[in-house]
Amino acid sequence: MSRILKLNIFRYNPKDLNSKPHIETFILNETESMTLFIALNRIRSEQDPSLQFDFCCRAGICGACAMIINGRPDLACRTKTKDLPDNITLLPLPIFKLIADLSVDTGSWFRQMYQKVESWIHTDMVFDSNAQEERMTNHLAEKIYEVDRCIECGCCVAGCGTAIMRENFLGAVSLNRLARFILDPRDKRTTNAYFDLVGTDEGIFGCMGLLACEDVCPKQIPLQDQLGKLRRKLALAAINNVLPKFLRG
Amino acid sequence: MQNLTTTTTKNSINSIKLPAYLDWLQMFSGVILILFMWAHLCLVSSVIISPSIMNAIANFFEETGLVYVCGPGILLILFLHFILASRKIPWTTKQQTAMWANAKRMHHKDTWLWMIQVGTAMVILIMGATHIWVVLTDLPITATKSAMRIQSGTWFVFYLILLPLVELHVGIGFYRIMIKWGFLSRTNRKGFHAKENILTIIMITIGLITLMRFMLLPIN
Repeated sequence: MSRILKLNIFRYNPKDLNSKPHIETFILNETESMTLFIALNRIRSEQDPSLQFDFCCRAGICGACAMIINGRPDLACRTKTKDLPDNITLLPLPIFKLIADLSVDTGSWFRQMYQKVESWIHTDMVFDSNAQEERMTNHLAEKIYEVDRCIECGCCVAGCGTAIMRENFLGAVSLNRLARFILDPRDKRTTNAYFDLVGTDEGIFGCMGLLACEDVCPKQIPLQDQLGKLRRKLALAAINNVLPKFLRG
Repeated sequence: MQNLTTTTTKNSINSIKLPAYLDWLQMFSGVILILFMWAHLCLVSSVIISPSIMNAIANFFEETGLVYVCGPGILLILFLHFILASRKIPWTTKQQTAMWANAKRMHHKDTWLWMIQVGTAMVILIMGATHIWVVLTDLPITATKSAMRIQSGTWFVFYLILLPLVELHVGIGFYRIMIKWGFLSRTNRKGFHAKENILTIIMITIGLITLMRFMLLPIN
């Protein structure tokens, strides 16, 4: 016999002056292989067409459907209701600007992040559209891909205690983004240049190592390892800076 | 996140490395305090075997003058460590409420470990400093003096509170340093933490036995 699910969903539309933040409860019968994506769509089509939430790919690739599911950020499309209790609470991701209900604007935040960590290859090489693409070893390409798999869902930021407390904290996604460029030999930035971008209390030295990012990342990106390496690299670079010239690496 | 469209002078011409140096200092002061606490427990617990061993060790520190250097030194490092680490503590009600809500919502172990560290830090700052003050203003250290203090009753309760809080803070701190500085990889995180927990339990147990030993030590 199928379960009866109770979905407690955050409702608020900032554009509607009469709207007040509140939790609205919807009752739904569970079907086989039901995901939260299916559940929310059924609520919207059968009970309340005004319910707002984001979806695109339904396969954990686009990162649009991240929300707080029973307390933790996760992707709704990849969350099966059978793995959840009867009582399910859904909240929008904190930190990001609320559009309405469960829908948030992660785009603006990520745009700022790209600018802040200068998320592009810095090179003085002139692009030749006729030349063959520069070769890279498979091993290195895989190493870069491992950290570049990020779908920018925002879960790591929304689960981060530091980011929640401190508005300017860059969060794991930004630091992981920079780690990707550090690995890439085409990026000609020096360690000092990377330091200037994230060697701050808003960057890697503000990270308190709570590891929520590592534990909630739906793509299992090795954030713990990347943050640890980045802290060591930049902290050692700072030490290198005060060494006598002949000892500098 | 702050709007970046404005042009501001971010740094001086030379890149500012202060955040890194402060992070180094926070880590090193923490490591020194961890090593000190482990050594401290080993030395004091020598009373379990015999008060004369503890007296001999205390005498060594007295004769060599080490106690006059290490005692105030540790107090200073404790204060330094607090000042450095407290930069990460939420002080405003807005930050505190946000962090509380986050911890309660997430049911996430490592977030709670940090909360425990913050909580224990406040108590250790006061009680640890009190303990150092009481010991250093009544030198030389002897097993009998320690036993007298603990048998007074109030100090027994004092140490019964301070001991587990210090060991928790030290244990969690050790684990978190290993995490933050990249010495633990994803694969060995859980195993290390389990071992760390056992170490903390052993340390608390040794501490409790030491306290009981002092409690039952006959005072001449």
